[in-house]
Amino acid sequence: MSPKTIQPQDGILVVQNLYKTYDQRVVLNHLSLAIEKGKTTVVIGPSGCGKTVFMKHLIVLERPTDGQVYFQGRRIDDLDERELAQIRTHFGFCFQGSALFDSLTVYENIIFPIEQHVRVIDYKQLSELVKHKLAMVGMDGYQNQYPASLSGGQKKRVALARAIALNPEVILYDEPTTGLDPIMSDIINELILKLQKELKVTSMVVTHDMKSAYKIADRIIMLHKGRIIADGGPDHIRTHPNDIVQQFIHGKVGEAELAALRLGGTRFETQFLPEDFK
Amino acid sequence: MIEELGQWTIRNVNDLGRFSRFGAASFAAILRTLWLPRTYPLIFTQMNAIGVQSVPVVMATGAFVGMILAIQAYGQLASMGLEERLGVLINIAVVKELGPVLAAVMLAGRVGGALTAELGTMNVTEQISAVQSMGTNPIRYLVAPRVIACLLLTPFLIIFADLLGILGGWAVSVFQLRINAGAYWNYSAIGVEMWDISTGILKGFFFGGAIALISCYKGFTCREGAQGVGEACTEAFVGCFISILFLNYVFAVVLDAIYKTFWPLRPLL
Repeated sequence: MSPKTIQPQDGILVVQNLYKTYDQRVVLNHLSLAIEKGKTTVVIGPSGCGKTVFMKHLIVLERPTDGQVYFQGRRIDDLDERELAQIRTHFGFCFQGSALFDSLTVYENIIFPIEQHVRVIDYKQLSELVKHKLAMVGMDGYQNQYPASLSGGQKKRVALARAIALNPEVILYDEPTTGLDPIMSDIINELILKLQKELKVTSMVVTHDMKSAYKIADRIIMLHKGRIIADGGPDHIRTHPNDIVQQFIHGKVGEAELAALRLGGTRFETQFLPEDFK
Repeated sequence: MIEELGQWTIRNVNDLGRFSRFGAASFAAILRTLWLPRTYPLIFTQMNAIGVQSVPVVMATGAFVGMILAIQAYGQLASMGLEERLGVLINIAVVKELGPVLAAVMLAGRVGGALTAELGTMNVTEQISAVQSMGTNPIRYLVAPRVIACLLLTPFLIIFADLLGILGGWAVSVFQLRINAGAYWNYSAIGVEMWDISTGILKGFFFGGAIALISCYKGFTCREGAQGVGEACTEAFVGCFISILFLNYVFAVVLDAIYKTFWPLRPLL
């Protein structure tokens, strides 16, 4: 797919020639991509390849150095904060560290986005809504707990419930399974699939967990050094001819990196014992 | 050397520019917040944390200032036989300079440190981005209530510091140094004018604004990690302290000019 062929109307979310630098370091290098409505797109890539930065551009938490971002055909990267606030209500964002407000209870965390945008009159109805949202992620009954008393997996699930509080059209997940045990990771994967199916949302997941990627993705995109090097369905990625893609999906270190590690010295040269300093 | 100086200048000018933009955005957010009564509970929560809970430390600061002034000044005045004028010296110093400035410094440490650490941690753990991602302006939700609470309550805290400073000075002078209480109050009443007290309190308004804005800014721009939060707190306290001293100097110059121009005309009004 040539970058020039992508048009703002090609998907619910479209980026054109997205380019981002931090202190002259190029993080995103002229990315063009259209995300299809109702599908789950997974972005994979090694740590530091710009996945999270890319995702933050989609709701303009970061402004591009160059290039455009479109949501439902409307350009959003040049809007001011007040207009963006309105656009962002169409999105749910699950942060890597959950980013729950630790001074608020689970209940208050979930009503936060609702209270910010809707004039709540019937708090009984709101509490029913919170119960329903929490039940969707299997966390009903935790309303009065503070985030500090929850485990990593529970926090992610509450964060998910908060992300769907405003019935978003797009849910963005930043490394949803990182730091979780395999079973909890699978629960999160199942939840992503469930929300996708029940709420008919468009999902975008950034991860380096291949098991999770294969399970939930309709389409997988691999980023490397700020560029897209592979794009297609899970089967396409599994059989992709590119060596970097194969190394990444099999979790294998490349010959060049191995050689660099060997050059770093043997145990005798690099590791000192406390008695060496006496 | 020249390159380093240039880089330092550019960095600081950039920082000042960002702070000014942050200040302007906060000012706009404050006006909007005051316009919306449903955001008042946020302000009340901050007023409790920032104002009410600071009362004991500010009172203690004021009391000790008054007491120490009495002890230190007594010897000098007594040697000239002017010990009965101790009251005017203590009370002018307390209500005009020491009460407001030391109460503000105490607040910079207590409130400024807490605000920077809280917002800095929220920044590092992406909670500020989370507020933004849910379509809420983080400056309106997080900064405006804190700045409003600080602006409104610092003058009141200064009144508390002044009050305890006056009482502390009086207690030491009268009970410890055995100065005649009637003469002490009499000279104080002649020497201390309403102008001195009101300008001291007025300064609190600006000190409070400076403390809250600088601390919130440092929290919002805090670098990652425990070290980042620690550095931000240090920078916030130093920034607040220097601003308080600088503002105090500006006030001394400006208020003195106003006083000399308009106060003699007071009987004509």
